[in-house]
Amino acid sequence: MKLESANFLDQADNALADARRTVARDKLGVYSPNKRTAAVESFGDFDGLREHVHAVRQHSLDHLDHYLSRFEEEALANGNSVHFARDGEEMNDIVLDICRSANARKVAKGKSMVSEETELNEHLQNAGLEVIETDLGEYIIQIAGEKPSHITAPALHKPEDEIRELFLDKHSLGDRELDTPEELVSEARSVLREHFLSADVGIIGSNALVAENGYSMLVTNEGNGDLCANLPKVLVICTTIERVLPTARDAMAVLRLLARSTTGQSITCYSSFYSGPAREDDIDGPLETHIVLLDNRRSEVLASDYQEILQCIRCGACMNHCPVYINAGGHAYGSVYPGPMGSVLTPLLNSLEEASVLPNACTSCGRCEEVCPANIGLPDLLRDLRHEENRAKISAPRWRRGIKWHAWLSRQPWLYHFFTNLGVSLLNRLGRKTGYLSRLPFASGWTSEREFPVPQKNTFMQQYKVMTERKND
Amino acid sequence: MTDQARSEIFARVRHASQRAGAGDIRNEHFRLGRSPVAQQNGDDLNTEFLANVIANNGSVAVTRNRSETAKQLGSYLFKKYRSRKLLVGGDPRLAAMPWRDGGLLPRFGAAEDGDLASVSYAQMAIAETGSIVSFTGRTNPAANNLLVEDHIVIVDAADVVATLDDLWTRVEELPARLQRPRGINIISGPSSTADIEMHLVKGAHGPRSWHVILQGDVPEDVADRAHEIARSAAVSD
Repeated sequence: MKLESANFLDQADNALADARRTVARDKLGVYSPNKRTAAVESFGDFDGLREHVHAVRQHSLDHLDHYLSRFEEEALANGNSVHFARDGEEMNDIVLDICRSANARKVAKGKSMVSEETELNEHLQNAGLEVIETDLGEYIIQIAGEKPSHITAPALHKPEDEIRELFLDKHSLGDRELDTPEELVSEARSVLREHFLSADVGIIGSNALVAENGYSMLVTNEGNGDLCANLPKVLVICTTIERVLPTARDAMAVLRLLARSTTGQSITCYSSFYSGPAREDDIDGPLETHIVLLDNRRSEVLASDYQEILQCIRCGACMNHCPVYINAGGHAYGSVYPGPMGSVLTPLLNSLEEASVLPNACTSCGRCEEVCPANIGLPDLLRDLRHEENRAKISAPRWRRGIKWHAWLSRQPWLYHFFTNLGVSLLNRLGRKTGYLSRLPFASGWTSEREFPVPQKNTFMQQYKVMTERKND
Repeated sequence: MTDQARSEIFARVRHASQRAGAGDIRNEHFRLGRSPVAQQNGDDLNTEFLANVIANNGSVAVTRNRSETAKQLGSYLFKKYRSRKLLVGGDPRLAAMPWRDGGLLPRFGAAEDGDLASVSYAQMAIAETGSIVSFTGRTNPAANNLLVEDHIVIVDAADVVATLDDLWTRVEELPARLQRPRGINIISGPSSTADIEMHLVKGAHGPRSWHVILQGDVPEDVADRAHEIARSAAVSD
């Protein structure tokens, strides 16, 4: 997809100015951590589960050549066609060829971030195919002509009244009331049902590929992916090479993590495994199944210091807990993958030059790492990318000079302490009366919007010294 | 060219992998051990299963035999829809049900647009997550799980297993590759969406309701205990 990450700050400004849209994000920022916490507590040994999955994912990546080739072998034996695509363009061409040889006119699609990454819809539509997104959130943004703003809740940014106007405008169903979310869902359900029943090809993604038996795991709450996988005559699974896991039981461990981290459910409503085409005596199922395995620079990431990001299971917990995401919104990132995982992945799948602002959209608060089910050290990866940005001289010279000075100062403890002591006592004196400052030199960006609280008493190091002395006494 | 793409991708992946032998990889994987499972809520599998079905927005009933199941189904449908029509999948156990005991009018086959309620017989059920498992194949149309308004599932009490892993033990027992199901559907609630302002709506594409009938030799109070467990879990959330 065309990256618009360079304009992060302007896009975040716009998002913050639109009060109607901040409501949904604020709700997400409060509800989803609560739901996740409850789900984690009721599970029991959740940290043990995270460690187990982390070890399994690391093992799979360490031996990806072995497991990928085993998966291919099993998937072929199950009757699938297996395709490899080096980049998005190649994947799009493969899928279009499949649709053409099936004489397809209509394609029903389940939610797939991979197809967002490669802009598959546009490619198929330009070739004259009708493509229908069937996940409700994806359907809403498709007919609105917008991009997803969250990896598991793509239409998070659309307020209910906008969806109502959209449906009244795009569905020619005459006069009707659409007062409630239930009525809106009901209308989308009946519109989409006709598409399910008449689609020639179904396209879905995959949450995991099982090397030992060639099955592909699919997780949804709506059941739309399963309709795509069972009703049309041709099924295409678009996924990426790092989704492979050694065994079916490993996929079950991921399943235990996934929904708890995303929505706080113990499991999604529909969790399915598909092996291939229908057998001779089967009463339903696709007659032809294809698995397209996309690389798109993942093999480069595999060989890099950022390999850990390939452990991501796309649950969205990092963004649900990220203060920057909650405030700036998904569109600010200008990429298919927003939030902390997106800020790592986007520069790697594209280039640091185009997306260098994203690793800086981080307060280093560490919440994403605390909740990441795959135990990915996201703040470390973001910091490493910032280092690289600095080394490659991508950031503004003014910034690099400042960082250089700060680095030098940090290495002279006596001077550093001298300056911080000076700063703290100066600020204390200036704001003695009120306890805050409404103007500060070099920080007008902060003080134009809010007051600056005056530091209390003394510096952290001074307090730390007193505390350790007291402890040693 | 797909062949060239394949060999290039494999070359790059191999370059980044550890290039260990198959035996070493198997041993390393074995040493990772097993995944922890969810802590049990309920004293036995059946109670745990039903409590988790309720937590997954399902409704439950318990019956001792086929005749009771048919009666339960009949009253469920009549109370809810004033209807006796029921779509029935091809599982041989369903063909042998005494439908007349419940005053039901079954239609055997695959769901079409407009079918209100269908009944499936679960291959198995999972206590850990409150899920029913349905295999595609010769007898179970997937559409019956996915297109109707109300999905009713009969579970034999003996088919309730403890964990998600036990599902694969069962699948691996099936003889040859061709007898392994094309699709394994683990269903854990009615079709739902929260895509409109995070408001949970049931019946996104498929069932708005999900009703599970546990049939077999189980204590009479198992449903009551399951409700109690689900209630106290919901309060502590």
